[in-house]
Order: sequence, then C-alpha cells, then structure tokens
Amino acid sequence: MNSGIDLQARFIESLTQLGIPNGAAKALWIPFPSFLMIIGATVGVLVVVWLERKISAAAQQRIGPEYAGPLGVLQPVADGIKLVFKEDIIPAKADPWLFTLGPVLVVLPVFISYLIVPFGQNLVVTDLNVGIFFWIALSSIAPIGLLMAGYASNNKYSLLGGLRAAAQSISYEIPLALSVLAIVMMSNSLSTIDIVQQQSGYGILGWNIWRQPVGFFIFWIAALAECERLPFDLPEAEEEIVAGYQTEYAGMKFALFYLGSYVNLVLSALVFAILYLGGWEFPVPLDKLAGWLGVSEESSWLQVITASLGITMTVLKAYFLVFIAVLMRWTVPRVRIDQLLDLGWKFLLPVSLVNLLLTAALKLAFPVAFGG
Amino acid sequence: MFSMLKQVGDYAKGTIEAAKYIGQGLSVTFDHMRRRPITVQYPYEKLIPSERYRGRIHYEFDKCISCEVCVRVCPINLPVVDWEFNKASKKKELKHYSIDFGVCIFCGNCVEYCPTNCLSMTEEYELATYDRHELNYDNVALGRLPYKVTQDPMVTPLRELNYLPKGVIEPHDLPEGSQRAGKHPQEIVEEAKSSS
Repeated sequence: MNSGIDLQARFIESLTQLGIPNGAAKALWIPFPSFLMIIGATVGVLVVVWLERKISAAAQQRIGPEYAGPLGVLQPVADGIKLVFKEDIIPAKADPWLFTLGPVLVVLPVFISYLIVPFGQNLVVTDLNVGIFFWIALSSIAPIGLLMAGYASNNKYSLLGGLRAAAQSISYEIPLALSVLAIVMMSNSLSTIDIVQQQSGYGILGWNIWRQPVGFFIFWIAALAECERLPFDLPEAEEEIVAGYQTEYAGMKFALFYLGSYVNLVLSALVFAILYLGGWEFPVPLDKLAGWLGVSEESSWLQVITASLGITMTVLKAYFLVFIAVLMRWTVPRVRIDQLLDLGWKFLLPVSLVNLLLTAALKLAFPVAFGG
Repeated sequence: MFSMLKQVGDYAKGTIEAAKYIGQGLSVTFDHMRRRPITVQYPYEKLIPSERYRGRIHYEFDKCISCEVCVRVCPINLPVVDWEFNKASKKKELKHYSIDFGVCIFCGNCVEYCPTNCLSMTEEYELATYDRHELNYDNVALGRLPYKVTQDPMVTPLRELNYLPKGVIEPHDLPEGSQRAGKHPQEIVEEAKSSS
C-alpha cells in the first residue's frame, strides 16, 4: 500500500539539503500544518455561512445575499468585520471573568479537534492513536463553556439556555460515543487514519455506511444535537428564551459563539465523512484504477492527483452533509425539551447499545467483513 | 412476553413512520430549491396593487353631505365630521373632515356605505411617517391622489400572480400585450350584449 504524498518528509529533506540541521527543520515544520488548518477551518466557516444563507433562501424561494461580492460570497466576511468593530459590552451585574472565558472555552476545543481530521494518508496535523476519542473528549468541554456563559450573564434566559445546552450535550454525547465505538470495534483502532484505511480498497462499497446503517443515523442525529442545529436548537430557541446563552453577548464575543457553532458543524460533518463515508476515498478505488491503467504508484503526478482528489472528496462529503443539515433546518420543527431528552435517552441510547452488541456479534461471526 | 414484543413492534413501526414523514418533508423543501425566487426588489420594483386593493382612503370634500353614515358604520367611529347648521340656508355646512390612518383598519365600511360616493379606496400603501400624528389626514390630505406605480419612472411595475398569463409565474420581462388568464369583465359584458 502506497502512503501517498508525505509533505513533512519532503519539507524537512529539502531544508536539510540547504544546510539546516535536522532538529531545526522539524521545528520549522511544526507550526505550519496547524496554521494551515486554522485558516482552512475559518475559510470553511465563511463558506458554510454563505451556503447556509443561500440554501435557506432557495428553500424559501428568496434570493439571499446578493450585493456583497459576486452572488454575495463576501457577506460572511462583511458580517465578521462588522462584529469585530462593534463595542464589546459586559453587562454591569455580570461576572466579567466567566463572561469572557465562556466563549473562549466554547471555541478552542472545536479548533483543537481539527488536529485529528485527515485529508489524506499523510495530510493530517497529527495522527494520534486515540484520535476519535480525542474528538469526543474535547467536544464535552464545550458545554462547560456554554454553562459558564449562561451563568455569568446574570440573565434568566441565558441561564436557561446554558442549562439546556448542558443537558442536551451530555445526553447526546452517549449515543454519539456508542455509535463511534461500533466503528472503532470494526477498525480495531481509534486513529482516524486507520478508520479510513479500513474502509478503503473497495471504493464506495467499502464505506462504513453499508456496515453501520443504524450507527450512521444515530451519529447524524446526535451530531446535529451536539451542534445545536435546528431540530435540536433549544438552547437558543428565540421564541422561548430570546437567544439562550448568547443573549447578553455582543461584538467579538458573540462572533466567537457564532464562529464556534459553524466550525463545530463543519467539524462534525468532516468526522462524519471520515467515519461513515470513507474519508478521502474516491467512490472508485484509485490505486487499483491506476494499476489497471498501468500507471506506477510511485509517479509523482499520480500522487499529486490522488492527494488533491482526497482533499476534494473529504470536503465535498462534508459539505454534502452540511447541505443536508441546512435542508433539515427548514424541514423539521424544533422539538420540545422533554421530547429531546426522551429521544436521547429512551430511543437513541438503547438503539445504539443494540447496534454496538450487534456489531460485536457480527465481528465474531463474519470477521472478514467486519474487521476481525 | 408477547405483549412486550408487540410493544417493540409498534415502536419500530412508529419510528419508521416518523422517518418516512421527515423524508417527505425533506423532499418538499428540496423541491422548493429549484423554484424561482419570488423576491420583489422593493424600492426599485413594486407589485401593481389589484383593483380591489384597500389602501389609503380618498375623500372628496365637495360631494360630502355631512350625513355621518361613515362614522356610524365605522367599527371605532373614526372619521371626524366637523359641521355646523347654517340657519340661513337651513343646511349643514361642513368645515373639516379627517381620518386618522394610525387607527384605521382599512375595513372599507365607510366607503361601502357612503351615500354620495365621496369616499373611495386608493392603492396607496406607503404611509410610513416619523410621527404618528402625521397619520391624521385632514380633508386636504385625504383629497390627494396617490402616484401610480405604473407611471413612476423610478419603479419597475410587476404584476401579481393573478394577473400573469396562464402558467406564467415570472413577472419580469413579460411580452407586450400579454393578458391574464380568463376573460376580462368588459369582454364578458360585450359577449352578453352580442348574444342577447
């Protein structure tokens, strides 16, 4: 199995050729991928905000943003700049430290989670051997930030929103983790790279969606709830509690919440694509195709093509899921808080447990198909 | 044991049903995406109000006989009719007449019942002001006619859906002389005359 482009090795190699010692070359490389990932995540958010507004407009037979740039693509940039220049207000009776810390605690873990998102065999910031567990662990920090923001605002709506966010995140974490666990069981590894590797080789037929159809839906529902997307957007239900924990926020701190929620959506879609839709894999197995066409796996142009195709495929799959989420937003009404918890504890939890046991049984019975 | 199995079966059936309904809903929203937007770029484009549009009320001072029927049929007795009995001519002499459009609900009862047809509905709807007292129109303001959308050089007039030809839902760039579906009232009158 060819490992594809290894940018890190090439970078260090070329630097050592220039006479820079090996350690210094490695140190020079370290900030590069994380910086790239932060920029990528931010641009991804701008695209998602634009897409959300345009798709929402289309679903409601409107036009949507039109004047800021061609087709309104600069609208999210304009929104962001506006938010940066707005006055930073801290309410008089609020707790200034917690009030400031809240949005930071919400945004940081989401950005850090991008560490484990692979776009290719070597196109990942770090290949942690506990990758997917790292993501689940980090995503449970966010509700602390939300609760902090809700409590510190000294506002009944904020407090209610924060409490709702905490209840929702905690109860949907479990089915999410259980459905991820079924995948992990099949691929014998927590590393995101290994999870994609295990799905590769048979093109679209090898993707986990065929082996984990139940987990696929559970994960999607739980991910929507984790991102507070529309059927589960109770923490910011404007008809009931104004804007939930965001009520007292303005300017850059509000922008952090806004950014965080969209980055989280993109991240969930990316992780979803990696777990169930074969990550960077093309629907047709590319290396086999190259073998049939008689192209050497080592040829550099093939490696460049597979790497760029891998990035495109990952992003494309993620954006397809974002599209579904936006469409979902204008299709389903918001659930009540009791319905939300009912769904989480009485439906998703038992079903995901049964799914986990079934996967274990199938793994014992058919080790070939379910990763023995 | 059997009843529990039935319960599980019912629950599964309910789940599948719910999934089916969500799928149906998604297909509806997805279908809407290929439809044309119905946006009217308001200050530059305006819809032509229909002939029965109940806009601001127009009033003709000289036709009014100060009978106060409009006040009596008004749900909140809104029109103010200020008249005095002229003993020499033994007639009511109208001094002022006003309607406050900040309170009016545009029900059209006054227009309906006015015996001399001195009240009528216009197609004007842009009544916004900075001060609500400016909405209290006196007889001079009530006598003004609104500017027609079709004659405003700044505005592209757009027809409402009912006034577009059959099967057309796009009001932009209609061909010259295109008519709405069905017969016009005057055509029906002409047909009735020629047949009798």
